[in-house]
Amino acid sequence: MARARRGLEVNGHRRSLDGVPDDERLLDTLRGRWRLTGTKEGCRSGGCGACTVLVEGRPTLSCLTLSSEVEGSAVTTIEGIASDAVGRVVRTAFEREGALQCGYCTPGFVLALVGLLKERGARVASETLVEELSGNLCRCTGYVSIRRAAEAAREALG
Amino acid sequence: MIRPDAREKLSGEAVYGTDLAVERMLYGAFVPSPVPNGVVRRLDLGPARRVPGVVAAVGPDELDRLCPKHDLERPLFPKVAVSYYGQPLAAVAAESPAAARAAVRAVVLEVDAAPPLVDVEELYPAWPEASARGDARTVAHVLARDGDLVEAFARADLVHEETYRTSGVHQVAIEPHACVAEVADGRWSVTTTTQTPFGVREDVSDLLGIPPEKVVVTGTWVGGGFGGKGSSFLEPYALLLAAAAGRPVRLALSYREEFQLGRTTLPMVVRLETAVRDGAITGRRVRLLLDSGASLPGRDFATGYAIAFLLGPYRVGAFEMEGYAIRTNKPPFGPHRAPLAPQCAFALESHTDSLARRLGIDPVEFRLRHVWREGDTTPLGLRVGPFGLAEALERARALRDRWRADGSGSGRGLGVACGFWSTGTGAGGEARLRLGPEGLAIVEGEREIGSGSVVGGLVDVAVRVTGLPPTAVRVVYENTATAPYDTGVFGSRTVGALGQAVAKAAASLVRTLADRLGSRAPVSLEVKGGRVVVVSGRLRRSLEALLTPEERRAGGLVATGKHYGRSGPIDERRVVDGTFYGYQDFTATVALAEVAVDKETGQVSATRVAEFLDVGVALNPALVTAQVEGGVAMGLGTALTEEMLWRDDGRLGNPGLLDYRVPTITEVPPLTVELLEGHKGAGPFGAKGVGEPPIIPVPAAVANALADATGARVTELPLSPERVARALKPL
Repeated sequence: MARARRGLEVNGHRRSLDGVPDDERLLDTLRGRWRLTGTKEGCRSGGCGACTVLVEGRPTLSCLTLSSEVEGSAVTTIEGIASDAVGRVVRTAFEREGALQCGYCTPGFVLALVGLLKERGARVASETLVEELSGNLCRCTGYVSIRRAAEAAREALG
Repeated sequence: MIRPDAREKLSGEAVYGTDLAVERMLYGAFVPSPVPNGVVRRLDLGPARRVPGVVAAVGPDELDRLCPKHDLERPLFPKVAVSYYGQPLAAVAAESPAAARAAVRAVVLEVDAAPPLVDVEELYPAWPEASARGDARTVAHVLARDGDLVEAFARADLVHEETYRTSGVHQVAIEPHACVAEVADGRWSVTTTTQTPFGVREDVSDLLGIPPEKVVVTGTWVGGGFGGKGSSFLEPYALLLAAAAGRPVRLALSYREEFQLGRTTLPMVVRLETAVRDGAITGRRVRLLLDSGASLPGRDFATGYAIAFLLGPYRVGAFEMEGYAIRTNKPPFGPHRAPLAPQCAFALESHTDSLARRLGIDPVEFRLRHVWREGDTTPLGLRVGPFGLAEALERARALRDRWRADGSGSGRGLGVACGFWSTGTGAGGEARLRLGPEGLAIVEGEREIGSGSVVGGLVDVAVRVTGLPPTAVRVVYENTATAPYDTGVFGSRTVGALGQAVAKAAASLVRTLADRLGSRAPVSLEVKGGRVVVVSGRLRRSLEALLTPEERRAGGLVATGKHYGRSGPIDERRVVDGTFYGYQDFTATVALAEVAVDKETGQVSATRVAEFLDVGVALNPALVTAQVEGGVAMGLGTALTEEMLWRDDGRLGNPGLLDYRVPTITEVPPLTVELLEGHKGAGPFGAKGVGEPPIIPVPAAVANALADATGARVTELPLSPERVARALKPL
């Protein structure tokens, strides 16, 4: 079952994975053990994107990722986004463009966009932006304001 | 303006129902029925109780014992007859989700299966005979008529007759249902993600037989409602488990359960016959056969109000409308953003389009000849107030013609459709405002569900009455024990109805302050240096100086307002059977869709969409526009991809987001939104409800665009590739 592990670096802080079973999802470790409930639990099957976090900077579905499989990695959740320069830009863009309603998909979208902008930079094409966000579902906005926010964040970084 | 809830939601601090956790909390789980129809022969919870970590297991016997006055007509668990696959037959609570799952597996359950009724047309391949009214499967029957329909049909130049079918669709709020319940010191408390804390209190009280004053409901942030969180669901079960366990219990649905147990829109069949003479509609007969799922007789709300949407916002001459709601082996029907209106509009507006084309008249022109105008009377005898449908149609026609001229390419088509909605349902509520030295608090029991109607709309109303800046007004949430009563965030009523209570309370505050200031002229409020100042002409006083010592101690001056609206009355002479509703204060909406069609695969995609919404007055144009954008996207899902696929064995074949497809960001095309002001509604300052209307005309507009592109009329939702391909290449 569980063994001593290297742990995770979550939002810049070391977290131990001691006692975490091999088959525990990263989503449940974050939310259940560490009460980082800003990462949202949706469908638990990779269909909605609400649980997206960054693992080593890459957008990752925490419902389809085992904590044991990413041990030793740096994980960023919505709670840590304010201490990231790109994260602050994206958050401001979402605020200004009103790119949220119920807010449940919002952390996932923010993390997906932050990951994308970090990887591709401010020159990323609009089609790529949209394509890369197509794994995140929003039922409230019709994505119009989210598109606007994504473009605004890209411009702000350019 | 930045949404007041944006910071909390963007920081991850906002606590939703799924995020709740308290000390000593147990995890609940349902024992699901393994069959959609049948009889429970044996239910033994003993082995489940012996699973390590299990603290409580409850079934029909425990319900009788712990809640002796529970609702016998609507028991939480059926004693004998099973009505749908996955129906909760019992529930368990354990120290961990894994232990709860193990307990569910350990339950000894013997159920005799019977064949399920899945498709209403299996029971009624044609139309039900009159004798069906007394059938045990008939949940509701409605019939109304006026004028001489026989004469209208006999003298018609043309009778246009069609049948339409629509699918079951799910709300797909991204947040699943979840709550935490606790029973202690005679208080039945539940914290839950709901559109209606007071509705949950009433339901829990009725279902469990607990006096309402002993039930306390606390709302959380709601991760999407769309009607799916518009009444109680998990709360009474969680409370029963908590009562049995003597500890707090969390009960949440998995997404698979969301689909399998969800109270959703269910399929329906619509038959339409329209008589035309000299290019004008002279008579219409509409018939609706609604799958009501495991709804109980007397509990159907949908048939009597939905069927009026099939006559449409049109002058139709003589009419007859008849509807049946039929009990099937699916979960009970439930509301979903403008319940059944998009489906009814799909049928009627497709029919209207195909009729106009048959007559060789421009479909928009044909509609304009018949649409209600202010002062008209509806088929149920209601007076039409200020109504922007004709104006919306004119604007849609102009834009359609521009889009046509700017080169809609080959394979593209343009379609227009109308929708209408009523926000005058009569559902009322009360508001309490507290004006302190630093600003105004609106005290509410219900939480923001996303639309902005609570954190934005109610605030906008208070701002308009008092003159305060929006930043000085905030919403404070309390539980049902202390918050003022309100029916909830649904029916596009929050700003229109509760907003009036807020307006009255705010007006009363302003009057009180005018008196205290000794001013005959109205006062307004400002904020200077972070403090509220009362202003009347050149007279300025700090609010603090106008408060009594008691008010200062209590945090400010309190005022309350009530608004209990009325619906109707309808003309009862036209009603033959069943319950119809006199909902009024009509909102109009028109959608224009452009589609591209792949004639080989039958794939339809929307390439641009415009919507014209009669809003009365837009108190907050940004929030209203956002409602239209979201409604259009959801409507595109209903139009093109969303379909709950029940198999013949009564199980849902696609209980998940990978197989039940809602629109993604790549599937929503550029949207144009036009808000029409001037046709004032009954809400504060003339506002009309805007949450639900935007979805209504979208599926029909897409279907009409498809017909425009291909000449093929697809009569069943969604307009999936197989249906479209079949319509394009008849075998």
